[in-house]
Amino acid sequence: MTELMQPDSRRCTYFFLYDGSKVKGEGDLTREGICYFYPEETPLDEQELLCGQLAGAGRCVSELSSSPVCVLRLRRNKFAIRMKDDFFWALGCPVEVPTISVCELLDQLINLFRFYNGSVRRSYQLNRPETLASRWAQYLSHLQSGSSDLHHIFSCLRTIDATNIDPLLLLKAALILQACQRCPLVSAGCVLFRGRVVSTQISPELTMKVMVHESETYTKGPRCNDPGTFNSFGGAVSSTTVFLTVSELQHLQSGPGDKDFRSHSTPHKKKPTRKTRLSRTLSNTPSTESEPSDAFSSPSFSRRLSDSSVFSPDPSQSGADPTPQQPDPPFSNGEPSPEAEEEVPEESNYESFHSNGNGVSQMHNEAGGSLFGEDSRLNGGGGDGDAARGPVFDFRGAEESRDHNVFEEVSGGGCGNVQGRGAESPDPARSDDSPLIPMTLYLHRVKGLVLALLVEPCFLSDTDSMEEVYHSSLASLNGLEAHLRTVSPGASGPQGPYLFAHFDCVQSTLTTNLSARPGGALQRPFVRATSLLHSHFCNTETLQEAIIRSAGAAVYGTRSVAQETYFQQHGGSLRNSGIPNHQDSAFSLPGKARHRLLKHGVNLI
Amino acid sequence: MKCLLIASESAEVLFHWTDPEFQQNVQKQYGASQEDGQGLPAFEDSISTLFAPIIISCITMVDRLRDSYTSFTTENHHIYVLHQFDECLYIAVNGDGEEGECDLRRKIYVVKKMTEVLFGMVTLSSNLLRKELRPQDTEQRARLWKHLQSLLQTYGHLRENDQSFLVEAVERLIHPTLCEQCIEFLERRLVQQLNSSGERAGEEVMHAFILVHTKLLAFYSSRNASSLSTSDLLVLIIMAQNMYPSNTDSDDPNPEVENDRRTSGSGPESFYTPEPSPPPDRGSSSSGGFCGRCCSVYSYLVSHLSFAFAKLEKRLSEGQEGSAATRGQRTIHEVRGKLDKFIKALGPTEIQVCWIEFKNLAFTRGGPGFSRHLIPSCKKMKTQLCAVYRQCFLLESGSSSIPQRLSPGLQERAQSMVQEKLMDWKDFLLVKSRRNITMDFPGLIHFICVDRSTGQMIAPSLNLTERNTSELGKGPLAQFIRRKVWTLVNTTRRYLQKGYSTVTFRDGDFYFCYFLWFENETGFKLEAGDLPVLSDDSAPIGMLAWDYYRKLLRYYSKSHQGEVVKCYELLTVHLGVVPAEIILQHCRQLASKLWEPSRNPLL
Repeated sequence: MTELMQPDSRRCTYFFLYDGSKVKGEGDLTREGICYFYPEETPLDEQELLCGQLAGAGRCVSELSSSPVCVLRLRRNKFAIRMKDDFFWALGCPVEVPTISVCELLDQLINLFRFYNGSVRRSYQLNRPETLASRWAQYLSHLQSGSSDLHHIFSCLRTIDATNIDPLLLLKAALILQACQRCPLVSAGCVLFRGRVVSTQISPELTMKVMVHESETYTKGPRCNDPGTFNSFGGAVSSTTVFLTVSELQHLQSGPGDKDFRSHSTPHKKKPTRKTRLSRTLSNTPSTESEPSDAFSSPSFSRRLSDSSVFSPDPSQSGADPTPQQPDPPFSNGEPSPEAEEEVPEESNYESFHSNGNGVSQMHNEAGGSLFGEDSRLNGGGGDGDAARGPVFDFRGAEESRDHNVFEEVSGGGCGNVQGRGAESPDPARSDDSPLIPMTLYLHRVKGLVLALLVEPCFLSDTDSMEEVYHSSLASLNGLEAHLRTVSPGASGPQGPYLFAHFDCVQSTLTTNLSARPGGALQRPFVRATSLLHSHFCNTETLQEAIIRSAGAAVYGTRSVAQETYFQQHGGSLRNSGIPNHQDSAFSLPGKARHRLLKHGVNLI
Repeated sequence: MKCLLIASESAEVLFHWTDPEFQQNVQKQYGASQEDGQGLPAFEDSISTLFAPIIISCITMVDRLRDSYTSFTTENHHIYVLHQFDECLYIAVNGDGEEGECDLRRKIYVVKKMTEVLFGMVTLSSNLLRKELRPQDTEQRARLWKHLQSLLQTYGHLRENDQSFLVEAVERLIHPTLCEQCIEFLERRLVQQLNSSGERAGEEVMHAFILVHTKLLAFYSSRNASSLSTSDLLVLIIMAQNMYPSNTDSDDPNPEVENDRRTSGSGPESFYTPEPSPPPDRGSSSSGGFCGRCCSVYSYLVSHLSFAFAKLEKRLSEGQEGSAATRGQRTIHEVRGKLDKFIKALGPTEIQVCWIEFKNLAFTRGGPGFSRHLIPSCKKMKTQLCAVYRQCFLLESGSSSIPQRLSPGLQERAQSMVQEKLMDWKDFLLVKSRRNITMDFPGLIHFICVDRSTGQMIAPSLNLTERNTSELGKGPLAQFIRRKVWTLVNTTRRYLQKGYSTVTFRDGDFYFCYFLWFENETGFKLEAGDLPVLSDDSAPIGMLAWDYYRKLLRYYSKSHQGEVVKCYELLTVHLGVVPAEIILQHCRQLASKLWEPSRNPLL
């Protein structure tokens, strides 16, 4: 009865990547297999102990159950585990962090790595471990930095506080993005201000990934000698190669707007006005159910395949430096280098194209087969659209089954799916060999403001397009930056005699009146209750609302497909005997929440 | 796909239980790794080989990191729960989705409780447990394992199907007049006759009770018996069910058959169960030279001492010397005099030698005192005390591995006496056992009310058989509600574990409420204080294997000294369309009505 929980502000207590293939023989030292270990100052023998024991016990359990371990708990820490081939990832958090949040954090981390580096195995073949260690450290620190406990619970995007901002500015940001999309080589993008999202056209998961590079270039400051930056734009523009999963690419291409039409049109052609995605709701969010085969059979997808095979960066370059880079930008000498167009690199960074990367026409025909060539399940896939459809559904299945695992938390009963999120979240490093498609992340920085665009790799060699995008957005970006800079950071601390948190599952954004400083004594009961209720909501699909009360606090939680809302009323007498009583203030919480939260733009009716 | 195993610190499997599916899985695995095509090794060997790395890793983690695994979850939803009790590691596995992590943890606590009820304080030492669970004679071992496995299975069945084992409280058949008659019958006729029989061989009946299925009709304790805790009573009901399983859930289409069987004497209707070995924390039978109250006091002392030594040993081995170990040290000082007396009464035995050795090490000036050097001696004392406990307070099981206290003749006589007594009531009792209580609240679908101070519960029936429709009728709806109720109990326990005593949910078309509150003896509602917040791997909330509520009452009573504090729980399931005010009104009425003295004077 005395084992009271100790609040711990640090989210991640351990993270390591262990490569079992390095420790096969009797004489091999465990340390040989440790690719990265956090905290780095952990004594080596303790690192070895944890890696060796957890990986060993994990493997033993996996063999017994013929399935990889995904969660491992100790008395004082819980670990999200990913096992793939010989790699063993473990991310440990204090036990009071919801299991689902720990698993999400690990998935985010692995996905970030893959987004900037491509296949993990490949990266370790091409780079020195120290180089990659610094990247893991970078991604980990990015994911842990400056967020509140609530942000950690929901793994949500950091957005600018929309309540203090003129909605016109948000509209302006959205318009900038739309304007950029006039160029057919631009897929989609987002506008960020001081590490927070102003507007985004891409999925929350992808936005989150893009933000890492943004924050990195922000802290470093623009450097003209950085090979990723372009001198012709005064160092304000930089780019890096990134790798998208098939589902992310599909999602990108299934967004609003007629891509087929666009891909055939010239950049200068006037486009029909598209629906703004500024205030996305469920209704205008692109459905993930959209026929995957469309994406494959569409001209734009085929084009993606052929493009990527032609413009894949030289792997020896992309991995050699701490920052992932683009191959020598053609712009550095003023004109595109002709070889780049023809050359098919001998050693491709993305294995999927490795096997049969000869010639555009072949790629075009064999789209399905080549894309999944590495996946044994899918071997023998033909070249037509139908063959491609199967594999795509396969991936979905794998995703869903993973989501089930995580939520034993509340009842240990039935496992559910994360409503509104599970389907959309990209497959994490579930299979490191799942195909990754290279794209280019283009960043245009104006002081604290950044325009980030996902573009076709050939965008960088297309001077006209690049200049068009640069110049068409420059003035608007400057204007937007000037306005955003003058907006005072929102008043911190609770406003009103209540606490609330409103999580938009679709956009992965959080609205709350909690102060950002962690662990105010008044806020802690609310955060604790929210964490429990969130796990319960994730676990039980049919659960709509809940009121839970301890001696100190009564918290109301409600959710729909698209959102979760939590509410706690301050003051008032919480003195009660705990017996059923309809005059009990706890039961008036739903009404109060409905009433109070309207002015925060939260509609619970 | 289920498995439960107990391993010693040297990774030896002391006991295991697997269902056929798990067994198949293991054999497949083992078959796959055997390349030389020789026959499969014995199942026991395969299972210890497969689990050995996990067990060894667990021990390494404890030794070097002072932390240990509590669970593993795999992507295909297999769950492994691990728990260490003193020197033994318990592992429970589920791969069919029927049990969650909390169910598995509960099962581990239950198997420990069962071994303690069967063998006494052997769970403190892997050596003692090994001696009991792995007898040299393989036939005897097989018999013992089968018995324990069958008890586990009975428990599992009850937990899945019986509400009183869901909430871990005893359900009484509510019929005051009959109950009173039965108690009188037990006291004046049955117990008296048994105790005066020549066949009893020095045994004395301390407690006697009559069950209808799992429901308690009457309970009698002799004046010089110590009281029987809810935990022990629940284990006794499991044992009774194991001996005479009631087929409440079999869809027997022919009532005649069941009726015949019942009258033949093996039926579930009513029986008298001889008291098995006393539970570890109190003795209530006489043997080995001690008797009555005296025995009770001594057995308490011995178990208390064993725990004291176990605790001291743990502290010392964790490296807490000097001041940190003093808590254990003080206990040892306090009991030194008592132990001296007790050992003197036992006469010259091995424990006397150990005790002198311990005293020389611990209390001699200039000796090592309370340091690591004391550990072996501590261990010896603990083992000796556990052995003394077994020897003095538990009957040696003799040839049978299943302890039997009363001679079969006496058992039979008792049974026929009860059957004769209750013959006229039989049909009524069987119906009553299925429809114990009825509801008259529109919109209320189900409720469970528990008095945690007495460990008793009331709930409308949820039995789902062809012939016996419950309040809910039969079919998918009733099955659905049943599943919801089971999930709800698990969920509210989870919130209670984290300090929440009031919980309401709107889930699908239903509205669920849970309340826990305290009252004093006069029924005055006491203010809800802060409840303790427990870790995820803390002991399961309940009363069967580990009495959470007794600890909770003790914790709460600290702030209400001088008052008798009672603790109640209420769970309700309503239709979602019923307005919240009405739901709360129902709850309030239920809470005040159900335990009204007029309704049931015996509660």
